[in-house]
Amino acid sequence: MLTIENLTIQYDQTKVVDNLNLVLGSDEILMLVGPTGCGKTSILRALAGLIPIESGSIQFGSWTATPKKTIAPEKRNLGMVFQDFALFPHLTVEQNINFRISDKQLADHWINILRIDSLRNAKPDRLSGGQKQRVALARTLAHQPKLILLDEPLSNLDAALKDELRWEIRQALKSAGVPAVWVTHDQDEALSVGDTVGVLREGKLEQLDTPKKCYSNPNNPFVARFLGEASFLAGEKNAETNMVTTLLGETPTFENENVTSKVDLLIRPDDLIIKANEHGVGEVIWARYEGSSRLYAVKLDDESVVKARSPHENQIEPGTRVSLIINTHHPLAAFNKSI
Amino acid sequence: MIRWPISYPFALIVALLAILPVVVLFVLASDSVQFFDAHNLKVLYNTLLLMFMTLIGAVIIGVPLAFLTTYIQLPMQRFWIVLYIAPLAMPSYLGAFTFYAAFGPGGEIKNLIGLSTPSIDGLFGAAIIMSLYTYPFVLLTTRAALSSLDASQVYAARTLGLSLAKSLWRVVLPRIVNGIAAGALLAAMYALSDFGTPAIMGLDTFTRVIYVEYNSFGLAQAAMLSIQLLVVVGLVLFVESRIKGTQEKPSQHLLFFPKPMQLTGMFLSTAPVIILSIILPLAIFFLWLWRDGAGHFDLSIAWNSAHASILAAVVAVILALPLAFAAIAGKLGRLLERIAFVGFGVPGIVMGTALVYVGLQLPFLYQTLGLLVLAYVLRFIPLAVSSIRAKTESLDGSLVNAARVLGANRYEALRRITLPLSMRGIIAGAALVFLESMRELPATLLLGPTGFETLATYLWRVYEAGYFGRAAIPGLLLILISAIALTIMLSGEAGVKTKLTKGPSK
Amino acid sequence: MQRRTFLQQLGALGLLGACPAILPQHLAAAPSMVSVKQLPKLKGELTLYLGRGEGGLYENVLDAIKKRNPDFDLKIRRGPTAALANAIVAEAQANVRRAEVFWAVDSGAIGLLTDKGLAQPLPEDLTSQLRPEFRFPNWAPVTGRIRTLAYNTERLKASDIPDSILALAESDLSIAWAPAYASFQSFVTAMRLLIGEQKTINWLKAMNKRAKKYAGELGVVLAAERGEVDLGLANHYYTLRLKSGKPDATVDLAFTNNDAGCLVNASGIVALKQSDTAINFIRYLLTTEVQSYLASEAYEIPLIGDLAPPAGLPALQTISPPKVDLTQLANLRPTLNMMRKAGVL
Repeated sequence: MLTIENLTIQYDQTKVVDNLNLVLGSDEILMLVGPTGCGKTSILRALAGLIPIESGSIQFGSWTATPKKTIAPEKRNLGMVFQDFALFPHLTVEQNINFRISDKQLADHWINILRIDSLRNAKPDRLSGGQKQRVALARTLAHQPKLILLDEPLSNLDAALKDELRWEIRQALKSAGVPAVWVTHDQDEALSVGDTVGVLREGKLEQLDTPKKCYSNPNNPFVARFLGEASFLAGEKNAETNMVTTLLGETPTFENENVTSKVDLLIRPDDLIIKANEHGVGEVIWARYEGSSRLYAVKLDDESVVKARSPHENQIEPGTRVSLIINTHHPLAAFNKSI
Repeated sequence: MIRWPISYPFALIVALLAILPVVVLFVLASDSVQFFDAHNLKVLYNTLLLMFMTLIGAVIIGVPLAFLTTYIQLPMQRFWIVLYIAPLAMPSYLGAFTFYAAFGPGGEIKNLIGLSTPSIDGLFGAAIIMSLYTYPFVLLTTRAALSSLDASQVYAARTLGLSLAKSLWRVVLPRIVNGIAAGALLAAMYALSDFGTPAIMGLDTFTRVIYVEYNSFGLAQAAMLSIQLLVVVGLVLFVESRIKGTQEKPSQHLLFFPKPMQLTGMFLSTAPVIILSIILPLAIFFLWLWRDGAGHFDLSIAWNSAHASILAAVVAVILALPLAFAAIAGKLGRLLERIAFVGFGVPGIVMGTALVYVGLQLPFLYQTLGLLVLAYVLRFIPLAVSSIRAKTESLDGSLVNAARVLGANRYEALRRITLPLSMRGIIAGAALVFLESMRELPATLLLGPTGFETLATYLWRVYEAGYFGRAAIPGLLLILISAIALTIMLSGEAGVKTKLTKGPSK
Repeated sequence: MQRRTFLQQLGALGLLGACPAILPQHLAAAPSMVSVKQLPKLKGELTLYLGRGEGGLYENVLDAIKKRNPDFDLKIRRGPTAALANAIVAEAQANVRRAEVFWAVDSGAIGLLTDKGLAQPLPEDLTSQLRPEFRFPNWAPVTGRIRTLAYNTERLKASDIPDSILALAESDLSIAWAPAYASFQSFVTAMRLLIGEQKTINWLKAMNKRAKKYAGELGVVLAAERGEVDLGLANHYYTLRLKSGKPDATVDLAFTNNDAGCLVNASGIVALKQSDTAINFIRYLLTTEVQSYLASEAYEIPLIGDLAPPAGLPALQTISPPKVDLTQLANLRPTLNMMRKAGVL
């Protein structure tokens, strides 16, 4: 189990990570996600022991690292997969994977699982990006770490490759039974791969929850916006019934005593059904073809803008008046009205 | 808690060693009568002027050649690179002497083909010759810098409307200033410490005055002047350390494929450099050989040169490693590295004298090969450091991190990752030290076992006596051995990776 | 002029040596000459510091000595004379004495060592082999060199050249010189000793206006031969060697009379340790064979007995070199200061 307590990391005078608290279970995959500069890579580096920490502690297995007591990277029993792969250019794939291990069987096991057997004798500069990342993963797994850190491992790869590899990595991690901290800036990745998602903003953890909770019940508008398309609808909340009344109708919300009557209701584009309707509540201002679906931005009569997603057959031209119906029965998140 | 990089203690030891001659100089100079006089001012002026002109000359020749050999796809690339670096194989005093013999009224050129040429002497003569024999330093460092730049910035500039020339000027040049400066620094320090060329060209520089004092038994005075020279050297080092470069991770650097006509044009425009620095001295050597006959030549002299130089190269590289790593690790490390650079600015005769005194305090060292090798190392270690640092700086930091996370401690990571990947820089550094040691003269005369003769000392004897024919064979041997070292040095480079990748890399 | 041609026609030295009647001789305290055959064999080791390199000639002498004495292990350290002299002084101070014999290009270097008391006395039977004016208690001159004016034969005739060094400053001839060269500095020191500091400075200043500097006296002679200047101040052997390699060279020798301009200086050898091996080695250098060889091949002036000077040079007696104590030429500091004051160095 990994325990991070009050972790602060500082560069010069700036706090890149501010008082972070986090616990990771023994085979959990935690996705750390956030905009550039939010400190996620720094957390990873501090976990690996590659950069010093200002205050707080990191405890894992038998060691605890504090500002006064640094534990060298090689003693932490971790594995790390880097964004630029960090394969040793002067060694072959096999030598890379076997870097510090003498038991070839371990290496062979992962080489087979990750399907890189034909590349054993190749040098890294001959490999494609996807192949390199598989080799990097094999290398890490073969050394049997107790925790794996992944630093945006897929960000240098093509989109098609990402999807395939994402799942393969997850399978490999689960099969190895090793917990992982996976840093990404891609929210699709964060939601689909992780057991837990941690959203970071400017060094602070905004929310640490399952993907579903982060997506459907975000702690604040920032998290809401970060994890997917988000529109906010003005509404009135009834504290007793936990229902919110909006221009588009009534809908249930989560019980939350911190949220008072005037609210902004979080509406995801998939929550709405859009239809052309002369007597509708708003007008389409733009439309975007997405292949399997279409995304519309609708300007409501109260001047607010909402986005709605619709199957691709439903083609509506900008300027058309439309009706919008909230299509969910589960609670939607509501936040105190800002401004 | 501050964690000192492991290189620091070793770097400190080497830096202290490098300072040793300076300490000796202070001790010797304490007997000195005069500190500074008006004559010194003129000498200082000449010295500084020569240094600046050499620097400028070396950059003017070296930078375009660096572009030519790095960004342009050449047939037989390695051959051209060796050719342009070849002047490093020639002792500059020999180059100076062949120039002197060739040009001017009564010169060989006039005698042979009747073409009247102006004499080459004085400040301009010295500057031209020094530029011709030091531009390879600039060429090497600039090449390293150029090959580490990503081409995409130039492409971006061109799409924004800049012509190729303007793009190179505004987008490439600023990013290689550090590389150029490193080479220019070496050229400047070489100019400061060289004796042969100013002497032959009749230019009064610090080294010449030091020599005069030395030859008139004014040892204290010579030491005092050497210290003054070292102040200039220190200033040069300081200025250079202020120039910062950019750190980049290139995917591919620029590469041009010119048409044969353009290629021929380029080669023709660089021909004068090669002709003057290599072909001319070689031609004069052959002329003397043919005219005066070779005389009896003992091959063991060549062996002496070679093995002393190889020893120096190996030791220099071993000592340079901690310095190079320290320089990358932090500010203090960089300071230590700078201190060790002092040796290159110390004239050979001064270094030799200082070490004679050291040797006398440690009699078991006195007049041994070890002391001579030490002199070579202290003089030329900056060359090795520059080479290694250039290569190591460009290494991906995450490689060492990856190794450490996999369980390797600092030493193992150094041994298995950093060192093998720095090998090119190490070999290049060793080759440079080898070359310079082969052609070193004044310190060699003073140190080393009695009776130990090198190609350089033999050439000096023969030149002083005027028996030029006998200079031909050792001269040609010197150039040959040096050329072999050059080729080895560049075998690592093998046409600086153009990465026209077979197979996708991203 | 005629004398010189005559001497040239006589050719090799051996002939000259065989015709003593042709040349006038001083007969006071006639020096005895020794042949190598009379010398005892050398045994053991000897470390020689050799302050001159003649690209093979001195090697030939030393090789011949080695060949003749198979049990003799001669270790030679070569280097610039001043560097070696400094090294010997430093060695003595640190008591790490390695040098046993020192053969120097110029008597100045010898003077440095005799002044510091490092030179061992030489036996009289050795010193008596030398001509009277070259006898010293603790060092032996080996071969002589004379200061000359090497002039360009296409530009000047011998009669155009003044025979007084001071007059040279007042003529309008262009000059080449090498002020950094040890022999030149000895010559200026001699001038200082002979005519005093003030006159020497004046002479230097006057000459400086028409003199071109060169690194060494080889360069000086080359310059004169090429016609870059009218004449150059140099040791005699440079011109003779140049002419031997290039018989049609447009340069020849002229001499001043009885002043520093025709100073006869000498290379010298000094023993730094009291040892028979050292002394006997020195004896070799003063034998007729070695001296004749050096005269004929290196064009230097033999200083023993009555051996005649090299081809191309008149006998010493026909020139009137000034009388100067060679060891005093070691006193260089005032000379250098003077030269600096005059803007020459």
